[in-house]
Amino acid sequence: MEMSTIALTAYVLVWPLIVAGTLTVIVRAFVKEARAAKSEGRSII
Amino acid sequence: MDNLQTLAGPVAVLLMLLFFGGSLYMSLRIRKRTENADGYMTGGGKIGFGISAASMTATWIWAASMYASATSGYTYGISGPIHYGLWGALMILLIYPFGRRIRQVAPKAHTIAEVMFARHGRSSQLMLAGSNVLGSVISLTSNLIAGGALIDMLSPFTFTQGILAIGAGVLLYTLWSGFRASVLTDFAQVCAMLGAVIVIIPVVFFAAGGPSLFETGASNLTPQQADFFSSDAFFNQGAPYIAAVLAYAIGNQTIAQRLFAVREDLIKKTFITATFGYGATIIGIGMLGVIALYAGITPVGGDVNNLIPQMAATYLSPLLLCIFFVMIIGSLSSTADADLTALSSIVMADIYGQNIAGKKKANPRTMVLIGRITMIVAMVAGLYFAGSQFNILDLLVFVGALWGALVFPVIASFYWNRVTNLAFSVSVVVALAAFLPVRFEWVDLDGPLGVVSDVLSTVGIGVVLGLMAFGFFGKRVALIVGTVATLASAPFAIGFLHTYPVLSGSLIAYAVSTIVCVALTLPSRKPDFDFELIKQRTGDFDSVDTDELNAELAQLTDADRPLTADEERR
Repeated sequence: MEMSTIALTAYVLVWPLIVAGTLTVIVRAFVKEARAAKSEGRSII
Repeated sequence: MDNLQTLAGPVAVLLMLLFFGGSLYMSLRIRKRTENADGYMTGGGKIGFGISAASMTATWIWAASMYASATSGYTYGISGPIHYGLWGALMILLIYPFGRRIRQVAPKAHTIAEVMFARHGRSSQLMLAGSNVLGSVISLTSNLIAGGALIDMLSPFTFTQGILAIGAGVLLYTLWSGFRASVLTDFAQVCAMLGAVIVIIPVVFFAAGGPSLFETGASNLTPQQADFFSSDAFFNQGAPYIAAVLAYAIGNQTIAQRLFAVREDLIKKTFITATFGYGATIIGIGMLGVIALYAGITPVGGDVNNLIPQMAATYLSPLLLCIFFVMIIGSLSSTADADLTALSSIVMADIYGQNIAGKKKANPRTMVLIGRITMIVAMVAGLYFAGSQFNILDLLVFVGALWGALVFPVIASFYWNRVTNLAFSVSVVVALAAFLPVRFEWVDLDGPLGVVSDVLSTVGIGVVLGLMAFGFFGKRVALIVGTVATLASAPFAIGFLHTYPVLSGSLIAYAVSTIVCVALTLPSRKPDFDFELIKQRTGDFDSVDTDELNAELAQLTDADRPLTADEERR
């Protein structure tokens, strides 16, 4: 496989990976905040 | 789309019920009997990182941006999605330094227009509020159109049935709790959207041929489309967006509302996360356009807006088509509910709170009622415009330029204590008057006017880059960047830029508003403004702690209810 093909494939597939990373950060933060709110007996928002 | 797979009627209805029913359930979980007026507008300014980052990401990913990024990929080739999504992501990143300053001088404000009232007075406030109302109604309309078109294409239902269902669904879960419901449901919507993107892009890529597609389909691209540094893509797509980036970041109330909602120490973290979330999602979706280009696909009916649904209907299994459907509904709902809450907060704070009742006499209960009525009226207006033949793109460009004319006066008003109300208002009006004939080509730019237009546009380049640098590095670096950018681009831009009226119009709006604002401010003999006054003039409208009020109401209701059998026995 040519280098340009490998580079273009990586170029297409890197975005879902970044999205997955960002989503993980958001979900972990949300879960942490939801647990904290529950333990303090208040609404998350 | 006759030969492409679609969703069966009951499946489409079930997906809509699940989506909007789930959103309604979430909003009911946080519902209060008596909603606090400040909570209804900004959630009280204490929202955590997870919800804020999700909300910023979800609000800025709207259906039109997904469609536009794919169109950019299909039209301009491999660099196309970058020239759409990257600048859109920068929009979020750029506001955070300004956002921290805005929160510092007005920690408890609800809208930027409200702060402008405190800083300058009524005319500045109403200019900003008016542009925000126009922008939010157009955005709401655009999202309804995107949803109606999707339902029309992928299900047996009509466009009108689609916009009515979406309008009712969004209104249902947003109406009672306002901003609080909008940001909480954004979390679920961002999970659905981003989760779908993670799956759909690789599936479509490999279904279309995988890596070998880049070898077999290379002949479908022009040299410009195959060039990652395409000048065609930059001048037609990227450059006008760079100019728009700053305008949207400063002028749009949906972003300002989240800025006032997030806990102050979490602003940077939230906006950086949303930059990655938005950028990767929109650029990733744009790759569907690049894949279509390599695969030699022609959009149905020659309309590039059909490209994304067409790719989904061609390459996705029925289950993934359902996920795709939810992704688009999620993207448009999250933005539509943000538009509704933005509009309601502008009417509550800027029109009723500051101009009709007055800050001290504003009744919080009346404010919440006004906010709810605003949402209903806005949705009805959005549905009406969605059903008419308005050219949404032209309107969006107009609002973008209006915001472009506001950017320098707004930013300067937060940092420079000498800017006056006259300088603010006149500079915006003059900038708009200069923008319109250039953008809509009402004057012939081939002669001397073209040179004037190019000179102003070149100054506009310096203003845009200078303002971007100012946010991160301060005045000295901004002046150097602005001057160097203007001088360096002058030999190339003068005699050339007027051939791109969209770009020229936006740059002229920046340049003229900056020149006029500075020219009117410098000779002013008015006393310097004390920024501490903004804190006193803005703030909470609702002093009642509604959490306590709700608890008392619950106790009263408990006392009034008939005793159960167990209680009677005891």
